[in-house]
Amino acid sequence: MTLLELKDVSVHYGRIQAIHNMSFTVGEGEIVSLIGANGAGKTTTMRTISGLLNPSHGSITFMGEDITKMKAHIRVVQGISQAPEGRGIFPAMTVLENLDMGTFGRKDRTGVSDDLERVFTLFPRLKEREKQYGGTMSGGEQQMLAIGRALMSRPKLLLLDEPSMGLAPQFIRQIFKIITEINSQGTTVLLVEQNANQALARAHRAFVLETGEITHSGTGKELLANPAIKEAYLGG
Amino acid sequence: MSTTDGPTPMPGAKAAQAAANRQAAEKNPSTSADAAHKTGWFGRWNEKWQAMPRQKQWLYLIAIVAVAYLLPILNPPILSTEPGNDFPLALFSMAVYALVAVGLNIVIGYAGLLDLGYIAFFAVGSYTAAMLTSPDSPFIKVPYLWTLPLAIVVAMCIGVILGIPTLRLRGDYLAIVTLGFGEIIRILATLIPAMKGQVGFQNVGRPPGMGEDGIPVFANSNGTPWYWLTLTILIIVLLLAGNLERSRVGRSWIAIREDEDAAETMGVPTFKYKVWAFALGAGVGGMSGALFAGQVGFVNNQKFDVVTSILFVAAVVLGGVGNKVGAVFGGALVAYIPLRFTAIAEYKYLIFGLALMLIMIYRSKGLIPARNRLLAYGQEAYARVRNGPPKKPAVATEKEV
Repeated sequence: MTLLELKDVSVHYGRIQAIHNMSFTVGEGEIVSLIGANGAGKTTTMRTISGLLNPSHGSITFMGEDITKMKAHIRVVQGISQAPEGRGIFPAMTVLENLDMGTFGRKDRTGVSDDLERVFTLFPRLKEREKQYGGTMSGGEQQMLAIGRALMSRPKLLLLDEPSMGLAPQFIRQIFKIITEINSQGTTVLLVEQNANQALARAHRAFVLETGEITHSGTGKELLANPAIKEAYLGG
Repeated sequence: MSTTDGPTPMPGAKAAQAAANRQAAEKNPSTSADAAHKTGWFGRWNEKWQAMPRQKQWLYLIAIVAVAYLLPILNPPILSTEPGNDFPLALFSMAVYALVAVGLNIVIGYAGLLDLGYIAFFAVGSYTAAMLTSPDSPFIKVPYLWTLPLAIVVAMCIGVILGIPTLRLRGDYLAIVTLGFGEIIRILATLIPAMKGQVGFQNVGRPPGMGEDGIPVFANSNGTPWYWLTLTILIIVLLLAGNLERSRVGRSWIAIREDEDAAETMGVPTFKYKVWAFALGAGVGGMSGALFAGQVGFVNNQKFDVVTSILFVAAVVLGGVGNKVGAVFGGALVAYIPLRFTAIAEYKYLIFGLALMLIMIYRSKGLIPARNRLLAYGQEAYARVRNGPPKKPAVATEKEV
């Protein structure tokens, strides 16, 4: 079943067009990766889906409902949650306060403590650091916090914008393992990455983005085997 | 992994964290959440304050408030601004500045919106009081005390009107736009005939009450009753602000201040709450303006310049951005220094400029930093996320990595 559908979406920054007629779908239960170089439009795509940017053309459908004009804070209630690029945690709040902010859009408070336990099970480090200020944590811990906070809204679709950015290799593997784990627990994941290797290996389906357009698509394995992509993104 | 590639840690966060860790090690987990900002002398006071039982805190508060009310009668020689300036009037001035700073702190401190034109709302409040009470004004007259709530309402409306188009801007851009607000109001007062430009309004109303000698209780030259009135309002506003910052609205403001996009993607209707912060701040500013107009008894377009607006911002920054106690302190200090040290009053902008630079270098979060405000929030976050008593109370006793 299709969870999210983008149809002919274009996004402009002023007069500069960042995304050209992009169309793709994300099915329920999938991990979908968008890979591409700097400036390819990955983050723009994410911000458009989460509602921080408005498309100039095209439509976005989520669970059969047109959400093109919906404000970002309402999309959270609908079930789209984003862990923003550069992590976007609240530095002067503790880990627990950050996680509590993740529940802000929730109408029902039941199950919040279960979700907290779930986040702490996925990221035991966060539990150890629950009283630490977000701004004092390492890059990897902040990334965990950003993902954990996004999960606290109990999303149907989790948007991850460059979860591996600036992380050490062993952390990158760990983060991707956890992403697979989150997905196996029933959350659909849309992932944007420069680290194509891991992103393709973990994804059910993937798209390659070049200057605002999708140039390749297929299953993660197909794209991993594609010589052109190997050349351009996987270091030959 | 590296600590340098994340968002910049907030200034002082490392020290605060060290303090929090130390305290967490000493205390049981449920109270270590309110680990205080320990750096500096105010930090130490704050730490002691947090450790006190509730009743004791109330006792101290009542004592402080009582002293504050008695100040114009006690007129302690060390603090007194006499003979240069009448002490009760100086106290009134301090209380008004404190009220302004508390209002502006909602905008700058809580929601993180740098408003350099706060004087606009102060002016709106002053003009509301003047135009509805002064015999010079062609409008209907209402009793002076009614103009206080009216000034709040009018200033809030102006706040919303100015906020809706401008709050789409962020950071420096917002600051530049707000800089114009004060000027707009001042120039409107010059251009609109009904606002009487430089001629202004004489004999602005005052609260009722007549002394035995036939002089009104709230005479322009009698600072004490004006001070008491303002102090009472200040205390009420502080209590309301305290409730607000612990509420859902307060949490939204903190989130917006910390990272607006992240707040929006957490489900915070950021624009709505920014307009709210702007409007509430404007309301407090408007009321301060009405009080000021009442005491001085005269309002014209000369009193509302950009420099005073910057002085308001200085009061908030000096006291500690985001801390209402700090705002009271900063506001009172900014008003007090030129009145107390009349010899240097001429150089007050120079002195405040230097003081601000020193504050930015050595105490970048102000004299009384804001962390203790987030603490109350931290405790509630526990209760909220956990839905009552924690399932596993032994969380923080697990060994540190």
